[in-house]
Amino acid sequence: MSPADEGSDRNEGQISPEERAEFKRRSAEIGRRLDAARPESGKSKSAKGSQGKASNELLGRALRLSTELIGGIVVGAGIGWWLDTYLMPTVFGVKTWPLMFIVFFLLGSAAGMLTVVRSGMKMKTGPSDPTKGKPVPDDEDGVI
Amino acid sequence: MAADGHGHSPIEQFEIKELLPIDIFGIDASLTNSGAYMLVALGLIFGFLYFSTGGRSLVPTRLQSISELIYEFVANTVRENVGSQGMRFFPLVFSLFIFVLVLNLLGMIPIPGVTFTVTSHIAITASLALMVISIVVFYGLYKHGLGFFKIFVPSGVPLALYPLLIPIEIISFISRPISLSVRLFANMLAGHIALKIFAGFIGVLLGAGVWAVLAPLPLALTVALTALEVLVAVLQAYVFAVLTCIYLSDAVHGSH
Repeated sequence: MSPADEGSDRNEGQISPEERAEFKRRSAEIGRRLDAARPESGKSKSAKGSQGKASNELLGRALRLSTELIGGIVVGAGIGWWLDTYLMPTVFGVKTWPLMFIVFFLLGSAAGMLTVVRSGMKMKTGPSDPTKGKPVPDDEDGVI
Repeated sequence: MAADGHGHSPIEQFEIKELLPIDIFGIDASLTNSGAYMLVALGLIFGFLYFSTGGRSLVPTRLQSISELIYEFVANTVRENVGSQGMRFFPLVFSLFIFVLVLNLLGMIPIPGVTFTVTSHIAITASLALMVISIVVFYGLYKHGLGFFKIFVPSGVPLALYPLLIPIEIISFISRPISLSVRLFANMLAGHIALKIFAGFIGVLLGAGVWAVLAPLPLALTVALTALEVLVAVLQAYVFAVLTCIYLSDAVHGSH
């Protein structure tokens, strides 16, 4: 760092020892502040998961959640309706009209919520964290 | 934005127009404005990537660093969500991301009578989503055999709950391509309709005598909405790529 070997005939060789000490003190101070700042940002990053970098990504996640619930409900209701109106009467000859629709509508809602909860948990704990995944079953029992 | 207030419907912009009638053995394969926009997008993507990576200098030029940034961005997305084994799907994710991104952004460039947002049609987004989900299913079956279906079996749950939970898991899987395609399509559709309506207010207010003093309000809102729509265009392309990665990770890793 200190160019003492070639700076003997130039100005930097004549830097007073106090100045050099002052310089070293300042650089050490900067280093200390950097060290203090770094684990903090690292910590907040790992807390949010490895992807938690920009607010844009957070907005992307919010947009993602909104359609997932609806997707589950629509698919569930669609399957129930198809079972009721096509499969059950024509293939099995049973009239089940509102039954399958209601059952699969509920299943679809559960599936939508499950998807939302799952992606929510993934956002909170990061892509794969086996230790933090433990409380999930309890939560899900509470939901269902 | 050619909305000058007389008779322009906000959904007119989504109309498919035939440009060049092509008929292949009775199949209507005409070039429409949608197809033309896709061809333009492909040309732009290919041209940009070709010219920006042509130099391959060690210290990148501006263009080269743009394509390197996009590459790094998509590569990191794939690595984070699928892992390094997922990098074999990098070309797929990169193509999807840049295709959707360029189409979304092209739709934001207002050319009166021409502007068309390809991704605002569910036929396009659903085809992309179905392609993704078919790749997930076929690659999962190829890699894990029938064990792929274990992703439908929840782990750590009492056996008695299986009849309830397996249908839920299956519905949740089927809803993936639907939410993937509906999300992109609905965002683009709603955004462009909102833009058109608020832009239409400007013309209506300007033609309404004294009320013309209020015309700057919807103008300001339109400017703000345009900025928001550009953000949404980029975000939706990103979300599409991320979700593709998440679904691919099921195929690569199987159940966990």
